[in-house]
Amino acid sequence: MISLVRVDNRLIHGQVVEAWLPSLKAKRIVVADDEAAGNLLTRAAMGLAVQNSVEVRIEPLLKVNYQSIAEDRVPTLLLVRDVAAAITAREKGLPIRLLNLGNIHFGSGRRRVSPSVFLSQDELNQLKMLSQAGVEVEARGVPTDARVTFAEMMERFKEGD
Amino acid sequence: MVGIVVATHGHLAQEFVSTAEQIVGKLEAVSTCAIEPTNSAAEIQRRVDEAVASVDSGQGVIVFTDLLGGTACTQSLMLTRSHDLEVITGLNLPMLLKASTLRSEITSLPELAAALARYGQKNITCASALVRSALVPGDR
Repeated sequence: MISLVRVDNRLIHGQVVEAWLPSLKAKRIVVADDEAAGNLLTRAAMGLAVQNSVEVRIEPLLKVNYQSIAEDRVPTLLLVRDVAAAITAREKGLPIRLLNLGNIHFGSGRRRVSPSVFLSQDELNQLKMLSQAGVEVEARGVPTDARVTFAEMMERFKEGD
Repeated sequence: MVGIVVATHGHLAQEFVSTAEQIVGKLEAVSTCAIEPTNSAAEIQRRVDEAVASVDSGQGVIVFTDLLGGTACTQSLMLTRSHDLEVITGLNLPMLLKASTLRSEITSLPELAAALARYGQKNITCASALVRSALVPGDR
């Protein structure tokens, strides 16, 4: 069961461990990321902080069995590094009802749409397609933050011109 | 001398060091690293790396971080491949104060780090309960 799909450049970190896990009561974290999965030290370091009652899986983006984690009963937080990875995961069978944008860092050509999310034009277009397909897209660092809706993000992106 | 890096979310790092210095005086070979929500993981790793390099005189470095599993902790752990480095989480003032003296007494870096982590844990107490249990009934 997917409790939340989150885009976060930092993958597992303080906000995820201290705020999202308890709030979602998630019992499993799946990190779908090639770089993290390919680095033993990253895998060990990221798993370290998660309490034993929560299962941690760090697997390459294309190796995750999305159907299986969506269909079983374990409440799952799914983490990807960027918007492109979220789209790929969805194409590979990950059902996304709500897509949370947590931390997407500044880079060239990116514009700020929430305190911690900077989007490129390409990403905005991709998110627009998701939104039109019925996915709710929000930006929110931690559960208690006010959500920034996708409409607000588009507005802020335009203002950033 | 073993170097010390304090890497935390927000401005805790700088405040920990200046508070420690109010108590024991200027600390040698100490540098800090403040992590803000807008920093990318790569940027944080680069900044911790620079902080480590600035205090490493060849005898290794202890990195104190706030949260186990936080980005400062994770990215510092990544540096253990390239540096003689120990990472301690759950930084508190007693362990930082202890580090300023203990680093000239214990020469093995892993032993120093383990001793500091133990010391930090030992200093977390429910002091009021300790006082209650120390009081003989009737004393109150």
